This record gives sequence, C-alpha cells and structure tokens, in this order.
Amino acid sequence: MELQAMYIQILALVLFTIGLVVAIARRNIFFVLMGVELALNAVNLSMVGFAKTLPAELSAAGQIVPLFTIAVAAAEACVGLALVILIFRNRESVDSDSFTNMKG
Amino acid sequence: MTNLPLWFIPLFPLIGTILLGIIAVASSGSKKGPSEGLVGALAVLFPALAFASVVVLSLNMPEEGIRSVLCNWIDLSFLNVNFGFLFDNLSRIMLLFVTGIGSLIALYSIGYMHGDRGFARFFSYINLFLFSMIVLVLSDNLMLTFFGWEGVGLCSYLLIGFWNHDKDNCKAANKAFIVNRVGDIGFLMGMLILIFLGLNVAQSNSILQYDSLLSFLKAAIAGGQIAIIMPALTAAGICFFVGCTGKSAQIPLLTWLPDAMAGPTPVSALIHAATMVTSGVYLLARLSTMFAALPVVLDIITIVGALTAFWAAVSGLFQNDIKKVLAYSTISQLGYMFMAAGVAAFDASIFHVFTHAFFKAALFLGAGAVIHALAGEQDMRKMGGLAKKVPVTAGVMLLAFAAIIGIPGFAGFWSKDLILEKLYMSGPMGPAFYAVGLLTAVITAVYMTRLIIMTFFGEYRGSKESEAHIHEAPACMLIPMVILAAGAVGTGYLWAESLGLNTFEHALAPVVGEAQNAVAHSAAHVNPMMFAALGTLAALVGIVIAYFAFKKVPTATKSTRPEGGKATWTFLFDIIHGWFIGLTNVIAWIVDNCVDKLVQFAQWLVANITLILGDGAASFQVRKVRLQLALSIAGVAALVLVVLLTGGLI
Repeated sequence: MELQAMYIQILALVLFTIGLVVAIARRNIFFVLMGVELALNAVNLSMVGFAKTLPAELSAAGQIVPLFTIAVAAAEACVGLALVILIFRNRESVDSDSFTNMKG
Repeated sequence: MTNLPLWFIPLFPLIGTILLGIIAVASSGSKKGPSEGLVGALAVLFPALAFASVVVLSLNMPEEGIRSVLCNWIDLSFLNVNFGFLFDNLSRIMLLFVTGIGSLIALYSIGYMHGDRGFARFFSYINLFLFSMIVLVLSDNLMLTFFGWEGVGLCSYLLIGFWNHDKDNCKAANKAFIVNRVGDIGFLMGMLILIFLGLNVAQSNSILQYDSLLSFLKAAIAGGQIAIIMPALTAAGICFFVGCTGKSAQIPLLTWLPDAMAGPTPVSALIHAATMVTSGVYLLARLSTMFAALPVVLDIITIVGALTAFWAAVSGLFQNDIKKVLAYSTISQLGYMFMAAGVAAFDASIFHVFTHAFFKAALFLGAGAVIHALAGEQDMRKMGGLAKKVPVTAGVMLLAFAAIIGIPGFAGFWSKDLILEKLYMSGPMGPAFYAVGLLTAVITAVYMTRLIIMTFFGEYRGSKESEAHIHEAPACMLIPMVILAAGAVGTGYLWAESLGLNTFEHALAPVVGEAQNAVAHSAAHVNPMMFAALGTLAALVGIVIAYFAFKKVPTATKSTRPEGGKATWTFLFDIIHGWFIGLTNVIAWIVDNCVDKLVQFAQWLVANITLILGDGAASFQVRKVRLQLALSIAGVAALVLVVLLTGGLI
C-alpha cells in the first residue's frame, strides 16, 4: 500500500504543533530554539509531502526548497546558539522570560 | 526733483528709530547715559529730513498725485495688497504738518526731557511714532493704513507710559491701548466687509486700495447697484467710524485721551493734539467717496461729533489740571471735525485739523513750558500771575488762545466758522447742529479764558520758595512754541473765504470735491459776515462770562480731580465703560467657571478613553518573547479562520 499524502501532512502538522507548543511553553531558551527547529522541519516535511503528489518532473522544486531551508536553518541555529551563549555569559541564566529588554 | 522716491519720507524716521534705539540700549548700562547733544541732534535731524523730503515732493507734485508701489505684500485669490504709497493733496497737507510739527516738537523735547534717564529711549519712540504716522497717511490702501494705525497706537502706549515707574502712568497707557483696540476691531470688520464686497460684487481682489475702492463705488453708482450693496456698505461705514471713534476719542471711546495726559507734555502735544487723534478724521476724508454715499452713517457721525464736542467742552470747564483742560478741549475740537465730516464738508474738517494742529500744539507746549517753569506743578489753582514771570510763554499761549476761541483773524476763527457755516447749510437739521456748535464755541471760550486767567493773571498762589525758581524755558523750547504760535495766527489765511482766499479748498478739491458735491445741501445762502459776527460774539460772550465767573479761584485741594456732580459729568463715560467692564467680568466668570469646566470635562473624558484604550493596546506589546510568539500565532490562526469562514472574499 502506497503511503497516503494525507498522512504525511498530518504528521507534519503534529510535529509543527509540538514544536510550537515547546517554543511557547518552555522557559529554557534552548528548548525554545529546539521547538523552533522542530517546527521548521515539520514545514520541510510538509513541502516534501506535497511535492510527492506531483508528477516526477514537476516535483523537483518541492524537493530542493527544503534543502535550502535546512541550510538556512542550520546557519540560523549557529547564530542563535552564539547569541544564547553570549546572553548566558552575561546574565548566567537561560530563562527567556528574564530577557525582557534589548539592553545588555 | 520729482524723482525723489516716496519711501524716503518714512525711511528717515525709521533710521532715526533704529539709531536712537541702539544708543538707548547701548547706554542703558552706563551711569551717565548717552550724550544729550548727540541724541538730540539725531532726534531732530531725521524728522527734519522727512519734512524736507515732503517739501521737495510737494513742490513738484502733479495734480493727480504721485503713486508708487514698493512691492507686493499679500497675494491671495481674494485679496491683493501692496506696499504702496499715495502722495496726493490730502496726504501732502497731512504730511506737511505731521513731519513739520513733529520736528518742532522733537526740538522742544530736547529742552523738556533734559536730564531724563530715558532721554534716548524717548526720542526713539518719537521717531517710531512719526514713522507709523507717515505710513498711516502715505499708504495707498487700507491695510497699510491699518499697519500705521496700529503703529501709532503702539507708540502712544509706549509714550503715555514713558515714566513707567509710576503705576498710574502704566494704567493710563494700558487704558489708551485697550480702548483703541476696541475701535480697531471696527476698522478690521470694515475691511472684512469690503473684502467680502470685492469678492462677491466687484470681482476684485484689490478693493482695499483707495483707487480701486473709488472706481468700484463709481461703477456701482453709475450702474445703479448702489441700492443692493447699500446695507453691506453702511455696515462697513459704521465699522470704520467705530475705528475712528477709538483713535479720535469720540463718544463712546473717548475715556483714554484725558488719562493719556500722564505722558510727557511733548507727547500730549504731538500725539493728542496734532497727529494721532486726527487720523480718524483723515480716514473719513480718505474714504470720503464711500461716506458721501451713506446718508445714515453721515448722520451718525454728525450726531456723535456734536455730542462729543458739547460734552467735552462742559467737562473742560470742571478741570483743575492744566493739561486735562487741553485734553478735553482737544476732544471737543475733534467733535467739530467730525461734525464737519458728517455734513460731508470733508475739506472744512481737514482744514480744522490743520489749524488745530498748530494752535493746540502751541497750547500744549505752552502748558509744558508752564509746568517746566513750576517744576512739575500741573494744578492751575496753584498758579497765577505767571504772565510777568514767563512773558514769552504767556504770549504764545495768548495767541493760541485767541486762535482756539475764534477771535477774528486768528486761524481757529477761519476754520471753526467755516465748519459752523457748513453745518448751518447742511439741510433741515442744519440749524440745530449749528446751535450746538455755537454753544460749544461759547463754552470753549469760557474754559480757555478760565485757563488763561488762572495761569497767567492775578496773584501767584503757589508756595513762596517755589516762586523763586520760576524761570522762562530755554531757547530750544521757545523757538518751536513761537513758530507754532505764528502758525496759530497765519494758517487760517490758507482758506479765508470772506477775504477771497481759498487755496486750501482748491488743493483738496481733487480728493474730496467729488464726494462733497454728491451730497445735496440746502441752497439757502446766508451772508458769511453773519456767521463771522455770531462766531466772534460767541467768543466774546465766553470771555465775559469767564471773567466774571472765575474771578475768585478756589483753594487747591490734594487732588486735581473734579468732585461731586462735576465728577459724574466728567467721568460719565468712564462709568459707562465700567459697566461694560463689569458685564464682561460677569461673562468672563461664567465662561471661566461653567463653560471652561464643561470643556475640561470633555477633555478629561476623551483623554481617559484614549488612555484606557491605549493601555489596553499596549498590554499586548509586552517584552516577552514567548508571549509575543503565542499572540502572533493566535493572530494568524484568527486570520486563517476568518478567511476560511468567509470563503476568502476579504
């Protein structure tokens, strides 16, 4: 039995929701970042899932865009982690709620 | 030399103002003050240069006058005003005596203000005043005239309150300023109505210019539209007349002039006799074509003038302060000028302005010399017998006195009799106005004789030690007085009808002649000798009454204010003004405590609603990353929901 496209989308939605809830509900800034990553990957999965429903010659774009997204997300994660480490050095805390202004 | 530009005339006093102002400011720190010689020379030089420019321009003036436009001032679709000057026979006559007498009074002031701490400041103000007055007279449109009009108002404020360490002087200055402001609202309203007429009827945006106004009125009369615009034009005329009552101290806006005597005496001579107060009469003559077309307004002017002349003459009888007598006398004489303008005898009115400027300035300067001699004493009950001690001053005063009461041959005789004659021939009400005028002439003679007797004849009634100090004024004060006294004698011969001299009438005919002919007069011709005889009789009767009535001078009290019923009469209009001020205060209280509170409540309500809404909106803008994220997700979800539910229509 071939994999139904709908199931892939449902999985992506579940993953996205988990990611979002983690990002909103956790106070530890590392978990927030991980939640964001999860949500991004859910979107990638959704894209690939949609691409599979198209004929092979048209689906290439749907396969390539997630590759770009992954590359960009990796770069963003680097910058984000660097920022978090800097903040931690200054404040000795990873509680995102305690960072309420842009001043150092 | 006709190519002398017109703006030279106002330029000189303006330079004088700036220079003297700089000197005044620069020397304010030094203990000694500026050199009086330098300041005095500058102060007389610039008005004299202006006078010289006027003379040069006068000599070669073409019949229709000189017009020149400096630049554009206001250029709107409905209003176009230029900085333009108009030098015709009317402004020529006014300018000649404004700058001429102005220069003489500046010369006199050098002596009078000697040793005053604000010497340079005083002459700076005098020059600024002359600048404003020249602009007022020389302008070719109502807007620029209003500029000068406000300028002389400002300068009278500065000069009346010149000795501002005394609170009473400041109050008098405020009063003059505020009462004038009430009149100025009339002037402004009049201009607004004219602009409205220009916009809707004449399709002209330069109606405030005298020439355009004239052609507009001519076209309206020729085209038969005058009846349609009559109500608006009458309203404009009344508004302008309200402006004139303020500046020229007519009923009901006359209370400021007697108080204005608080200023230095040269100021009284310059502003309150010769120049500023006559600007109302000047405006009437300038707008003569308009007023000649408005019979209702003319009647109002005559009645107001007659009431003012009579009321002020009686008030003059009760005064003990030598300058106050002259102040009420000025109001009374201005009443004569308005009466003449009211019967459309604008030339006679301006002629009286002209002669009055000389003899009243001479009287004021004479009074100033008396006050100077007595070291500041103004109460006539403490004077007496000064004729022997200050003979030149007494001589000048006597000549001017003869002129003001109308002794044959003196200037006032010619101009006043001319007005009385025109009053008598003005129509059915003429004899009544004539009677008021003649009665006023008798009263004038009475109070002026009283002044002369109390000041110059009898025994000296002041203290013994002050008697030793009495001295004649210095030469720089006497020279202007003598020149003005000569004017008080001679200027009448410019228009001595019965001698066949009428230079003045010819000169003014191009400006006001047409307007005067437009108003119908009764054809009754009366022997002019009859008027002359009656006028002379009035003066003589007045002298005789005064001689017998004021033989015994009352003893001096502390205040020079009249008392009892006399005070009620003198301060009648102050009392009426008081009612208005009281009424205004009540309204102001109501506005302050009720209307203001309502507005404040509305303000408070709106402010709080805004605050609450703002706080609500701001509470979404918290600085918490996760909450912001959650809110934006919720927002996206809500949007998606809306799009789904409405089928993507919006």
